[in-house]
Amino acid sequence: MTSNDFHFVLQAAIAGEHKALEKIIEMYEPLINKYCFIDGEYDEDLRQYILIRIALKISKFNI
Amino acid sequence: MYHRQVDGEHDALRARFTVWLEKLIKNAKINYLEEYKKEVITISIDSLFEDEFLVDYKDIPIPVGKDEFDFEEERLAKAFYELPLMKQKILKMLFVDEVKPEFIAKHLNCSPQYVYNQKLRAIKLLRKKLGKGGGDS
Repeated sequence: MTSNDFHFVLQAAIAGEHKALEKIIEMYEPLINKYCFIDGEYDEDLRQYILIRIALKISKFNI
Repeated sequence: MYHRQVDGEHDALRARFTVWLEKLIKNAKINYLEEYKKEVITISIDSLFEDEFLVDYKDIPIPVGKDEFDFEEERLAKAFYELPLMKQKILKMLFVDEVKPEFIAKHLNCSPQYVYNQKLRAIKLLRKKLGKGGGDS
């Protein structure tokens, strides 16, 4: 994804477009997964919690 | 020239968003741990003293042969009550109450492997005390 594409996708995600948000989450999957471990074990509930937080808060990001 | 400048701005945006997102994820994890994992404070079984698990046994001294189960042999009973309390408890749950090791592990907040190990060690100790197979230690 080019920088320009990223800009548009992010803008759409902030505007509340589901597909764009999915794309952003897909892009940042490794970063999200990195924080999903508790005591060395992958926590699926934590992942869900993080995804909900991202979905709720992404609109607060200032472009 | 203009395109390069726009690309640079977008890269800066990407970097800014990455930093923002990482901070959000970190905070979400902290909140999650505070909210949902509060009631599941687990302490490793190995980090505790044996007596701390056995409050119910500590207050009630069990006389030899006067428990809810009787040993056929006095010698076995004596050897059993000489075992460490944790091993006694695990053996009792396994052989008298016939509880599965997985359940005992859950009950004692330890791994099933720990229960199996304790069982084997306890049996080994019993054999040693009874003079049967004492040489296999």
